Amino acid sequence: MADNREGKSILTLNHVTKRFSGLVAVNDLSLDMKERTIHALIGPNGAGKSTAINMITGLLPLTEGEIYHEDTKISGMNAHQIARTSCSRTFQNLKLYRSMTVKENLMMGNMTDRKQGFVPFLFDIKNANKEEKLMNEKADQILEFMGLKDLAGEYPANMPYGKQKLTELARSLMSDPRLLFLDEPAAGLNPSERVEFVNIMLKVFDSGIDIFLIEHNMDVIMNISNYITVINFGAKIAEGTPEEIQQDPVVIKAYLGDRYKQNMARGASNA
Amino acid sequence: MKVNKTSALIAVAAIALAAILPMFISNNYHLNLMIQVLINIIIVVGLNFITGLTGQMNLGTAGIFSMGAYTSSLLATRLGINPWICLIAAVGMGFLIGMGLGYPSLRVSGVYLALTTIGFSEIVRILMTNLTGLTGGALGVTGIPPFSILGHKFQTNKEIYYLYLVIAIILIFNAYRIVNSKWGRAFLAVKDNPDAVEAGGINIASIKILAFTLAAVYATVAGSLYAHYVGFINPSAYNLEYSINYVVMLVIGGIGSVPGNVLGAILVTLVPELLRFMENYYWLVFSIITLLFVIFLPNGMVSLFKGKKREAKAGKGAQANGR
Amino acid sequence: MQVFVQLLITGIAMGFIYALVGIEYTLIWNATGLLNFSHDKFILFGAYMFAGTYVLGLGLPPILAILFAVLTMFLFGIVSAFVIFNPLSKLSTNLFAVIGTVILGRIMIESVRLIWGPLPFTLDNFLRGSIHFGSVVVSKAHLVIIVVCSLITAGLQVFFKTTKTGKAMRCVSENKTAASLMGINVPMNIAFTIGLSAIVCATIGILVIPIFNVELQMSSMIGLKGFASGVIGGFGYLPGAIVGGILLGVVEIFGSMLIPSVYKDCLSFVLLIIFLLVRPSGILGNKR
Repeated sequence: MADNREGKSILTLNHVTKRFSGLVAVNDLSLDMKERTIHALIGPNGAGKSTAINMITGLLPLTEGEIYHEDTKISGMNAHQIARTSCSRTFQNLKLYRSMTVKENLMMGNMTDRKQGFVPFLFDIKNANKEEKLMNEKADQILEFMGLKDLAGEYPANMPYGKQKLTELARSLMSDPRLLFLDEPAAGLNPSERVEFVNIMLKVFDSGIDIFLIEHNMDVIMNISNYITVINFGAKIAEGTPEEIQQDPVVIKAYLGDRYKQNMARGASNA
Repeated sequence: MKVNKTSALIAVAAIALAAILPMFISNNYHLNLMIQVLINIIIVVGLNFITGLTGQMNLGTAGIFSMGAYTSSLLATRLGINPWICLIAAVGMGFLIGMGLGYPSLRVSGVYLALTTIGFSEIVRILMTNLTGLTGGALGVTGIPPFSILGHKFQTNKEIYYLYLVIAIILIFNAYRIVNSKWGRAFLAVKDNPDAVEAGGINIASIKILAFTLAAVYATVAGSLYAHYVGFINPSAYNLEYSINYVVMLVIGGIGSVPGNVLGAILVTLVPELLRFMENYYWLVFSIITLLFVIFLPNGMVSLFKGKKREAKAGKGAQANGR
Repeated sequence: MQVFVQLLITGIAMGFIYALVGIEYTLIWNATGLLNFSHDKFILFGAYMFAGTYVLGLGLPPILAILFAVLTMFLFGIVSAFVIFNPLSKLSTNLFAVIGTVILGRIMIESVRLIWGPLPFTLDNFLRGSIHFGSVVVSKAHLVIIVVCSLITAGLQVFFKTTKTGKAMRCVSENKTAASLMGINVPMNIAFTIGLSAIVCATIGILVIPIFNVELQMSSMIGLKGFASGVIGGFGYLPGAIVGGILLGVVEIFGSMLIPSVYKDCLSFVLLIIFLLVRPSGILGNKR
């Protein structure tokens, strides 16, 4: 697991541990994500991936360890403070605002950029309207980028699940993050929706946003990640490029099963 | 701010109607009712921020209203301060209460918050009734001066109606702007999904406190307006029944919608009056009608006009999964 | 010393009343997830039923009147379960459910006012008078309250632990889906729970007649204080309701010696708010 990557680190976990009175959910996890990469954290169900991402994004406090985003220590900060260091995230269970339309959901994602405080809002109507217009335009821009323009006025409950996921992703882009956390983005999608989602993820990456994702689905991971960290029972068991991970016997044993390597080889020879 | 032509036209028509109404109604009792409607509209529009949009149950409005009324009246009668300054003081009191009640709402929610607000309101009522030296006790405060502009005192019901109409329109307009802006969306977002709000970089605490403060300020302003209109106040009127009334107005009109709030306040204030011919039975009938509304038309009167909003057809449990 | 004992007994008696109030709404809360804001009107109804109709109206002896009042309230509870609580529990947010029960309460109190009139009345012979234990004077009403409430509390414990219906109710309050999969008729069970709660309310109403008389405002304070005692003891948890109730009753009585008695009612609300902010899970710390 020798790490000979170069480049600036944009996300670093140092000996991060999470204990829930007796249960160790994450055990001394350290990892380093370089900029301009798609970094995946994978592991079987219950491995601690969700706990890890919730600690990184500030929804769960750490028991031990530190987390850095670029040069800022984000462990110990509140979730909203961390988000303001130019990070964004999506949720596995989708946390869309059901009382609002798609476009309004997106506009909520942009609120921190809009500086006008409440009292100025009451009196400076001209600037308030200007801000609203800017939010509107940005939302249109991102909807266009994501191919969701037709659904701008829809309510989430009326849309297929795949579109809802895209909406949440779109919302997370509204704050112009440099680092995007995706929490099991492929979960619940059918194969064609998965392909669409992967394409969008690559498009997002190409537009300059680094991506850290936790995921279950092997096809998604192996095809788009630059670097993979594998955990099981809360501890890191392997780390490397997709090719290295597929060869790693520890990973194969714990997670992929012997057959996967054979299938990948078969798939490669068929392509 | 999204304003379409129809909404603007309806608003103008409503204002015009409200403006010419006193020409047809000269009966003092009816004018009194109209003023009461205006005051209730202000309260409900404020309550909408915290209970309608942000979804935090507030059953202490009567207590907040009375704090505004007492602040304004005591400053006016004991210290002889100009009623307009007293009104500003009432706004200040609203700020304090908003902060004061806003912080608990960060720690408790749902029925617990409902109980907290009830507790607050009851404590206020008991203190008002018994701190006789300060508040005049059960007899309350009398001789509260009316508002005046450039020496002209607003004393007849007609004059007060017009003055309060102007104030109400300003407050309603502001509320409408707030509801349809990033602030209104933030309130809704806090109700829908607090985690996502935090992950979006917004501090939920500041949003909740803002919502509570707005609701409190609107209520204390209404309290001050009431005090300087009626001329006397006492603690007997500020009990749980009133707090509930305001929530009923909110629900019947349509939570979240400013036109709905206005409609709800008008209906719930006036319909019981229309039912008075039933004499003893009128309140029972009105309560039954209200219950039917809550069960069958929970999104209020506005939902009849807008077509049922297609958002939460899901029941209580389905929110979690996004499916 | 005898003053202390007399006060203690008064405090415990009132405390038991609060405890019963806590029990009756906790039953509904656990079964339906709704806080019954009309519970004080249920208490009112029970008292009026007993006093107005059965004793004064029909001239029945108290024992029979109690029986009939309790039975009537039980039926009323079952009916309201289907007509009101069931539809309310299906609404999308808590806000509507709360308002719904509040308005139900209004309908009930208006009905009471229309049926029995707005003037208060008294029952001169019911639980009046006092008993002397040496130099300690205890009012009969307080004694009966303590005895009856203890019996009810113990009886409910037995009911829940040993009878089939009681166990079914505990299942329903834990997990409705699982309960119905086990063959429990959940709607009927919930209706029965509400009926049971109504019985407790009726009992409370009858017991407090000697203290508050029969009038429209007799139950509103104990209703609110019942909420407070539930929070203090541990919300949603029957032992919590009992502990909180008795504690509140005793604290109130002794507290009113330290502060002017007009502020006595404030105490419960101040305690309510303190607990909600500092220790919302109550004294018994139940994290339901």
